[in-house]
Amino acid sequence: MTKAISFLLGFIIFLLVPLTKAEDFKFPEIAGWKQSGEVDTFIPKTLYEYINGAADLYLAYDFEELKVAEYKNEKNASVTIDVYRHRTPLHAFGIYSQERLAGANFLDIGAQGYYEKGFLNFLAGPYYVKLSGNNTGPKEREILIAFAKEMSKLLGPKGSLPSILSAFPPEGKKLNSEMFISKNFLGYSFFHSGFTADYELQGKKFKLFIIERENRDECKAMIGKYLQTIKSPRKEVTEGRYALSDPHHGEIGLHWQGRYIWGILNLNEVSLRSRYLKLFGERLPIK
Amino acid sequence: MGQKLIGRRDFMKSTLAGFGGLFFLPPFNTKQEIKLVEAKGKEKKFIYRTLGKTRLKLPVINMGVMLTDNPNLIRAALDSGVLLLDTAHGYMQGRNEETIGSVIKGRPRDSFYIATKVGLPQNRTTGLYLEGATTEEFLKRLDISLKRLGLDYVDILYQHGVSRKESVMYEPILKAFELAKKAGKIRFSGVSTHSNEPEVIDAVTDSKVHDVILTAYTFKQKHYQEVRKAIARASNAGLGIVGMKAVRGAFQQQPTTRNIVASFKWILQDPNVHTVIAGFTTFEHLETDLAIMNDLTLTEQEKMDLQKEASLPGLYCQGCRQCLGQCTEKLPIPDLMRAYMYTYDYRNIAHAQDLITSLDLPDRVCEDCSFCRVKCAIGFNVLKKIRDVAWLKKT
Repeated sequence: MTKAISFLLGFIIFLLVPLTKAEDFKFPEIAGWKQSGEVDTFIPKTLYEYINGAADLYLAYDFEELKVAEYKNEKNASVTIDVYRHRTPLHAFGIYSQERLAGANFLDIGAQGYYEKGFLNFLAGPYYVKLSGNNTGPKEREILIAFAKEMSKLLGPKGSLPSILSAFPPEGKKLNSEMFISKNFLGYSFFHSGFTADYELQGKKFKLFIIERENRDECKAMIGKYLQTIKSPRKEVTEGRYALSDPHHGEIGLHWQGRYIWGILNLNEVSLRSRYLKLFGERLPIK
Repeated sequence: MGQKLIGRRDFMKSTLAGFGGLFFLPPFNTKQEIKLVEAKGKEKKFIYRTLGKTRLKLPVINMGVMLTDNPNLIRAALDSGVLLLDTAHGYMQGRNEETIGSVIKGRPRDSFYIATKVGLPQNRTTGLYLEGATTEEFLKRLDISLKRLGLDYVDILYQHGVSRKESVMYEPILKAFELAKKAGKIRFSGVSTHSNEPEVIDAVTDSKVHDVILTAYTFKQKHYQEVRKAIARASNAGLGIVGMKAVRGAFQQQPTTRNIVASFKWILQDPNVHTVIAGFTTFEHLETDLAIMNDLTLTEQEKMDLQKEASLPGLYCQGCRQCLGQCTEKLPIPDLMRAYMYTYDYRNIAHAQDLITSLDLPDRVCEDCSFCRVKCAIGFNVLKKIRDVAWLKKT
């Protein structure tokens, strides 16, 4: 029951946060730094001019608008803040997760952030924020953190990471390896979107995934289409366990129940596959 | 961004121009080879063209990997006969190159070609390089890319995202290319461009430094004829031409017909384009894209689809003036649409502001109407676009 309420609350937060996006935000004022030039705005059509071919991936995550501000100090150091607004916090998380460096130095900024030499990225509601320093010297980390904290305050509710991520079994999971793929999940258009996380256990590297849909019927249609596509001998589409052979992904363990389909890639050991599918299912709010 | 701004008269003239040149192309290049390639027990027809002076023989469809981190999709592409994988140092903050590295590990080095791109800090308004754009930084990034890919060298290294001719001739990067070639870290050098393409392509041709150009090229570009002309000149000078943004992945303003097959065929009608990188993200798209090589001829239906799509509205008001008189506040809508174009396409706020100031607009623009009576002939959301530029009046 608690699990179901927590998932429901997470879902409500994800629905509510976008309502704040209509409010335009301001860039922060930072002592010792001055904004240089105008704030630049990029829309889907013009995003290529700023980030070239990388724009394609942002567009796949329903990018709506980018605002860019640059700051300079007396020593001619500069800090650039890029604030990407996506249609929903989930889409912002998706693009953030695509670029997240799992081994980075994570920070408590926004819903989550991290610093690596030269840049600091964080997530806040529907915003994916990227800060970079130029000529900022040995205090770069402190400078970027100070900017990021002030920026975060001006972006409204910081939101949280998608609640469904907590369903991934913790044993063997690589920290911060979770991702949201917004479309064509696993290379199949009928799977739409899904979440993945990387695992390593007993020297075996594998991937767990979950697809969440509106209702049971959608999942049923997906499984049916999948069986047809991979030419599976199994014809009946019922809730429960599937052991399938995919021409592109190899052996796949799947489980469908309710509005969830979860599964394992790259793990041939049947007993371990079975254990993880069970563990995963136990952590989902399935009645 | 170095674009010449146009006045009201030219604006009307240019936007009302037709699409007569859409299918006007030089005779088809016979210097292409057709082979049957066997993949997973099936024979497929592949068309190969030579990438200019690099002499690399490539299928006309290859893979732009920027949209996927699915190793099995990349693997399937290579197993299906794709030879060139295109990535960049910056894609997915390096994860894109790492994924490719995991796929090509163990494959014979002569069974695939890798193209990557390295960019350096640019002034976002002028497109010119900044202080931190040094030879050392460029080479450092190349080394990181090689490490991620698990390679000693890449086949093509592009200078990423160039929009100015001055940037093509930027000495620190030219020096970096020279050093990288000498060190055997790159076989061929090139430039990639997404905007102001004709100027960049011409500069690359004139520089006589590079081997390959990667350029956006689509029938939806309002200046596709200039791009085509620059490409022809570059190709005649021996440069290899790789097309991108043919359709999928690129931003498509709604409504759109999105005839993907026709869009790829259109770009490949140009004999000076040697290959196209396709950003497919599904196994089905991979099959569809490769099947284009069965027959590159555009059917009548495909031509119609392209013409229809080319005539759809983009960021530009077509200047038909049918909206005049519809607005209860008598706002000069075509002028406001022109301000929108200056702001969001040319990103010349000052020019847009001058225009807005000259229009003598009321104090409150589009703030008091509960709904907009204006019906744009080509379906613009006029109210939204006006609100998107009305803020210029207050600044």
